[in-house]
Amino acid sequence: MPSFPTTYFGELEYHSDSVFEFPSGIPGFEEHTRFLLVEQVQSHPLVFVQSLLSPELCFIAVPVLAVDPQYRLELNEEDLVSLQLPGAAQPRVGEDVACLALVTVTENVDPTANLRSPLVLNLKKRVGLQIIHQDTRYSFRQPIQSQEELTQCSC
Amino acid sequence: MLVLRRRAGDSLLIGGEIEVEILEITPTRVKLGILAPDSVTIVRKEVHLTREQNVTAAKKVDPGAVSWLTGKLAKH
Repeated sequence: MPSFPTTYFGELEYHSDSVFEFPSGIPGFEEHTRFLLVEQVQSHPLVFVQSLLSPELCFIAVPVLAVDPQYRLELNEEDLVSLQLPGAAQPRVGEDVACLALVTVTENVDPTANLRSPLVLNLKKRVGLQIIHQDTRYSFRQPIQSQEELTQCSC
Repeated sequence: MLVLRRRAGDSLLIGGEIEVEILEITPTRVKLGILAPDSVTIVRKEVHLTREQNVTAAKKVDPGAVSWLTGKLAKH
């Protein structure tokens, strides 16, 4: 089994078929084309997106539905082709694809999730892409609220 | 912000070296053609914002912040 030295998880063993290929990387990190998703019981529902090029490059991500239960993923034709998905219908989040928002944690500011440009991962083909949502209502910096706060807000 | 009205086929110049031509107008979209020197980077704004956000998100995070975030998301 291959392994990779990581800054946060030490030597990380993985199955080669669990690697997600991002053929063009993601904006700002175009040279990073292979990532692993790391999930830990104690940090559920967070998902760590570890680069297989740099031990220290690891994004914190969260499923979009954990931040916004009403989130609607809409992929355009180009996205569907890049993700090797059939064009007939939108993929089902959690079944065909995973949809993760990258989290930004900065001091003195509430953590935010990027709902405007989430990572979409084809779970069968193991291909990933950072899409940019057409809907400008979704923010690049959506403050993360707990489910409790969300309930209070809707009252 | 400078606001100009242009028709399809019209152009405008930015400085001496950048030309923006309106190629096509539809009810929802405008197709632009841009002529600029190689040294000028042209990028869709949302890609630029995504890049900036990715670079910020890639910064080292205090482990305490991770557990705090987990606690916040796990609340019912």
